Order: sequence, then C-alpha cells, then structure tokens
Amino acid sequence: MLRDASNDKPLVELVNVTKIYPPDVVAVEDVSLRIYKGEILYLTGMSGAGKTTLIKLICRLETPTRGLIEVAGRDLSQISTAGIQRMRQKIGVAYQEFRLLDKQTVLQNIAMAMEVTYASTKAIRARVDELLSLLNLSDKRDKLAGELSRGEQQRVALARAAANGPSLLLADEPTGNLDPAATELVINLFRHLNEKNGSTIVVATHDESIYAETEHRVMALSNGQLSALPNHAPRQIELFEA
Amino acid sequence: MHFLAYILRQTGKNLRQTWGTQVMTLLTVTLSVLIFAFFFLVYTNMLRASTRLGDDVRLIVYLDQEIPASTRPELEKKIRGFGPVEKIVFVSRAEAFARLSTQLGKEKDVLNDLGPDFLPPSIEVYPLKNLGDLTKISQFSDFLLTLPHAAKVQSGSDWLRRFGYFTNLLQVVVLLSGSLLIISMTFIVSYTLRLTVLSRQGELEILRLLGATSAYIRLPLLLEGMLQGLLGSGLGLAALYILYQWIANRFSGPGFLSLFDFAFFPPEITTAILLAGVLLCTAGSLFSIRRFIRI
Ligand SMILES: Nc1ncnc2c1ncn2[C@@H]1O[C@H](COP(=O)(O)OP(=O)(O)OP(=O)(O)O)[C@@H](O)[C@H]1O
Ligand SMILES: [Mg+2]
Repeated sequence: MLRDASNDKPLVELVNVTKIYPPDVVAVEDVSLRIYKGEILYLTGMSGAGKTTLIKLICRLETPTRGLIEVAGRDLSQISTAGIQRMRQKIGVAYQEFRLLDKQTVLQNIAMAMEVTYASTKAIRARVDELLSLLNLSDKRDKLAGELSRGEQQRVALARAAANGPSLLLADEPTGNLDPAATELVINLFRHLNEKNGSTIVVATHDESIYAETEHRVMALSNGQLSALPNHAPRQIELFEA
Repeated sequence: MHFLAYILRQTGKNLRQTWGTQVMTLLTVTLSVLIFAFFFLVYTNMLRASTRLGDDVRLIVYLDQEIPASTRPELEKKIRGFGPVEKIVFVSRAEAFARLSTQLGKEKDVLNDLGPDFLPPSIEVYPLKNLGDLTKISQFSDFLLTLPHAAKVQSGSDWLRRFGYFTNLLQVVVLLSGSLLIISMTFIVSYTLRLTVLSRQGELEILRLLGATSAYIRLPLLLEGMLQGLLGSGLGLAALYILYQWIANRFSGPGFLSLFDFAFFPPEITTAILLAGVLLCTAGSLFSIRRFIRI
C-alpha cells in the first residue's frame, strides 16, 4: 500500500532529534523524519549507525536528548504513563535481541501481547495459530521459546509484535538469522499486515536483499545521520520540504 | 469483561510460582494473628470479669471513735477527692452490732455477754470497679489510713489487687503482640511480594514493553497481599476458636473459667481482626509495589 502522503498528517514525526548516550556517544544526530500512515520504511546502515536507537526512540524506550518526537500527533515527551501504555499496545516491536521469555512456550510468549489488551482466550488462540502458520512455526507452538533456534526465535518475536494487528510495526533486524525461504515468509507477513491491516511498518536492516526490489522508501543512517538512499528515494524531496 | 479473569489468572500464576514462600508467609501471618488474638481474648475476658467482681472490692476503715453525722459530709468529700468512688457507707458501733446479730441469726445469744461497744465503728468505701482502680487499691488504703481517727484499713482481698496487676500486664502483652502482628504482616508480606516481583522480573519487563497497564501489573500483586491477609487472619482466628473450644470443654464446670464466664469474641471483633489483617497485608504489598515496580 503505497500512499501519496503529501497531504496526510504523519503517523510518526521526528524533528531534529539527537540522542546522546552518556557520557558522549552520539547515536542519532539531528534526524528529521516523517513516517506516513500505511507506508513501509526501510532503515539501513552499518552496525552502530543508530538504527536500533531510532526505533527505541519511536516507542519511547529511550528519550531524545534534543528534538521532538510525535506519534499519532502526540508529543512523546508530554504523554502520560497511561498514554504510553495505550500507545505501546498499538505499536508492535520486534526487538533485535528478541526479548522472549525463554521458560515460556511460543504460544505464551505471543499471547502476552494480546493478554495485556484483555483479548479473549479464543481470539488469542486463533490469532496465534494464524501467525504461526504464516511464519511456518505451527509445530513449535507448545515448545519453550528458549529451546528454539535463533531463526525460530526471531520469527516468534515478529509474531508477538504482529499479534495485535498494530497500527505501527517496528522490526529491528527481523531477518538477521533467517535463510532466504524464511526471509520470504517475513516479507510476506509485512505485506499482509500492511495491505490487510493498514499497518505502518518500519524495518531496520542491513540485509540488502529485502529492500533491493522494493517500491517503498529506504533511508540510510550513517554515524547517526539520516539520508535517503540514492536509488530508493521516491519521496525524499517531499520529506524535507516541511 | 475479561479484565477480572486476567487479574485472577495472573494472581494464581504468581502464587504458584512462589508457592513455598507463600505457604511460609501464610503460616507467619496465621501465627501472629493467633498469638495476638489469644492474648486479646484473655484480656477482654479479664476486663469483663473485673466489672463483675462485686462486693469484694471494698475498703473498710476501722475507726477509734464514732464520727458524728455533722462531720460526715466533710469526710466523704475528702475521700472522693482521692479518686472515683461508687459509694461510701458510715457504720456506727450500734449498726455494726445490729448487722452482726442479724448475720448470726439464731446464734445471736453469744453476743449477749458483749456490750454493743465491742465492735468498732467504720467507714466502708466502694471504689469504682474498673481496672485502673484495682491496682491503686493499696495507695487508696494508705490514704484512708491518714483520715482522722482511722485505726486500721482492711483492703478487700489481696488477690484482687494481683488480678488488677495481672490484667495490666496482659494489656502490655496485648500491645506487644499487636505490634508484632503489624510488623510481621507488613514486613513479611512485602518481603514475599518482593520475591514474587523478582521471580517475575523478566516477565514484568516484557509486560511493560507490551504496554500492560498499571492495573494489569499491580492488581494481581495487591490481590496477593489481600489474599494472604484474609486467609492468614481467617486461619489464625479459626485456630483460636478451636483452642477456645478445647479449653472450654476441658475446664467446664465450676472453677476458674466459670468464674470468668470465658467467652469468644463477639462477631464485630472477629470481623475487625479479619479486616485489620487484610488491611495490613494490603499495605505491605502496596509498599513493595511502590518500591520495586517501575511502570
Ligand atoms: N544503551 C547504550 N548506552 C550507550 N551507548 C549505546 C547504547 N545503545 C547503543 N549505544 C551506542 O549507540 C550507537 C548506535 O547504536 P545502535 O544500537 O542504535 O546501532 P545499530 O544501528 O542498531 O547497530 P546494529 O546494526 O549493530 O544493531 C553505537 O555506537 C552504540 O555503541
Ligand atoms: Mg541494532
């Protein structure tokens, strides 16, 4: 779902955002970025470029040293605790280090995301089964997460992020441990969410193969600074005119 | 509404995860309620008994001469000045003699040889029958001895005074065991909850990331404390009741207990102890939640 976004209000807006980790690690520097509803945005960059930091800033796991971040029109620095909790229920995040509970089953891990929204057990079961079959993990449903391979864990983390049909999905290095076949499944999941659900998706990756043929925007981070990738810059101009 | 189901299920999960500690906590809470309630029960029974002690609480001041009616009010005022008194009775030689002869009934002949002068006049002082005054009886009798013409003071039975002291001592014990109860409940419960929180540290962190509300995270922990309080004080009171029944059966019939008419707490007190237990344990869990959970 590629939208002409020029008139829309962005779902996520970063204005001159800088993140400095104490004492003086500049992870993100003066980044301005608008992410529009329904788009898929690829964030690339070398290791240490600041991709993960940018994602953590958007879901307010980190707070910016300078600059403004708005999600759905709300300034994250002004939002209440309850507001952040509500927001996080609508943002699915697949963390680079997965953050699964090793001693719980795949089902339990994915269910947690829906339980916090008080979804019914029946709805949870149906959704988990659907996601697992999309990611080719159906036979792993009752296995402990800690006993899975890295690639399987990675897909469980994605399933958890996608469980609530989030309006915004942030996927940090979602294919780092996957073979081409599994990568294909993940890309299909993104497409599915984006088209069926209208989810906005941000993918941080240095796996060129997943954005090589995309018609979506690809932005590159380098030493904390953002620029559009030359051959993937369909909307770069519109982006910086604001 | 799935909300309640989730909170309850989460509470059950917490309890299962740390059940060993939970049982120990429950026992501690039960035991401290039992200890406190036991002393409190004895104390309230003694209090009730002391109000029914009757005429034993009486001080008799024997005089070496009659008090003319005209000076009696002044003397009475002086006695009342020392402490609360239920009543004061002046007994003249003649009245004392008449009383004794009615007491002797048919055998009053033995008094024939003795003149009505052989019994001394006296003042009978009935202090208010409450515990504070029971322990002050010896001071009271010392005071009465300083009255004009007082020759001797007979101060009720000695055991009454001891009874008073014992009840006062019991009051201290009740206060001490009450403090023990407060400390054990709040501290143990908050400590156990800390274990729950630690055992779920990883899970709580993830819940935070997934946007779990404060209620979702905190209510199960609060409920855990409340449950500990309710079950603990319930079990403690039940144990006390069984103990009470056993004692009552064992020592039924005439004797020490029948003198006191030993009774269990009225329902209001039982409810109050139960509520206090729930409240204290909830406070303990609140303390832990505020301290160890960051949302
Ligand atoms: N919590 C932290 N404290 C201090 N420095 C940090 C912290 N997190 C990240 N950094 C530093 O910030 C910079 C950006 O890190 P970030 O994790 O955002 O990079 P990345 O693009 O995600 O890298 P990778 O591709 O390896 O995941 C790095 O230099 C890193 O060392
Ligand atoms: Mg990273």
